[in-house]
Amino acid sequence: MHVVANTPRGEGVLSCIQCGRCAGSCPVGRLTVKYNPRRLVEMVNLGFKWEALFELSWLCLSCFTCIDRCPQGADVGEVVFALRSIGARDGNIPKGALTMARNLVETGHIVIPTASMSKQRASFGLPPRESVPEVAKIARKSGFSKILGLK
Amino acid sequence: MPALGVELVDMDGTSCCGPFAIQSLDYTGWLALAARNLCIAEKMGLDIMALCNDCYESLMMVNQTLRTDKETRDKVNEILSVVNKKFKGTVNVKHTMDVLCDDVGLDKIRNKVAKPLNGLRVATQVGCHLVRPKLLHTEIGKGFEVLDDLVQALGAEPVQYDDKEICCGGPLRDIDDHLSRNLSNRKLAALKRANVDCVVTACPFCYIQFDVGQLEIKTLLKEEYDIPVLHFVELLSFAMGIKLEGPQLREHRVSIDSIVRKLA
Repeated sequence: MHVVANTPRGEGVLSCIQCGRCAGSCPVGRLTVKYNPRRLVEMVNLGFKWEALFELSWLCLSCFTCIDRCPQGADVGEVVFALRSIGARDGNIPKGALTMARNLVETGHIVIPTASMSKQRASFGLPPRESVPEVAKIARKSGFSKILGLK
Repeated sequence: MPALGVELVDMDGTSCCGPFAIQSLDYTGWLALAARNLCIAEKMGLDIMALCNDCYESLMMVNQTLRTDKETRDKVNEILSVVNKKFKGTVNVKHTMDVLCDDVGLDKIRNKVAKPLNGLRVATQVGCHLVRPKLLHTEIGKGFEVLDDLVQALGAEPVQYDDKEICCGGPLRDIDDHLSRNLSNRKLAALKRANVDCVVTACPFCYIQFDVGQLEIKTLLKEEYDIPVLHFVELLSFAMGIKLEGPQLREHRVSIDSIVRKLA
């Protein structure tokens, strides 16, 4: 609990009163019993194993409905960012997110254009997309590259 | 935009702004990457207009955080020093809808309508990150009605539908595709019930989720909706009499011919 509370965006776990308003507002919770934001905070505060928490935290859409409705400012929609970043430090990153992040660091863009996308850009009269080497420098300096397993 | 008196200047050397998947991995890394883009605009002395809700909210959050939190700002500036940049906090971040509503104004848009879209039933999907969390948007204060007002200014009829304020499901794409599709499926079913001519989005990601998503849903969930999806800027072009041609029309996975015919 304290690890999460002391991670950026995670301090909300300290003020949650388990009222469940987030759970009633959550569009993912409507579709699957797997994800319940109130329960996620409860699991953090009860000291559940990290692995279970990381996986659940990635089911949040970041639609922020829960943040608008939380009476406590506990903002579980923010807490998931803390959980994911704690997981990322130990290499727990979903494949899709890891690919996007590596693309970003290596090229400056999360999506690398395919041949047909490049052709499409040209048909709109747009110049070819250039890579942005400064991003890699920033990522190296901030430690972001290391989290992604890059040099 | 030039026809509405807005001059757009490209920002050279920008990178991706740090969508939610990136923010999730490293807080400081995200702040520094997005701040780099803000620095480019600061050097140009111009406010940023973001077309995409994710770029908008990411840049806006970083701008606000670094303006108010000196400790974090110093830390980020230390990182930015490797590329000889420094965040100052001198520009504002706006969404295209903010520029249209606040800077151009609904009256001017009404005056520029060459072909009012009378009789067109339009459902709007604002996209979460233009309006939520509310606290972040207090200065500009947009709500879900923003797109309805704009659609109305073009002469079309905004139609209400169930689950209008619910996410399109896009953010779970590539993370949990099954859930992502089910969310869109629910929304598309609600749109069908509302008997709309098309759905208009303010966010390119919602656009992809509905447009490409309908093809995926047709194949995998065996549900067929055939609801044309347009970005608001496209609808605006129609109303202003600006012709969309070849590649712009082909880009739509769900044909928008019915709309083109209706407006012809």
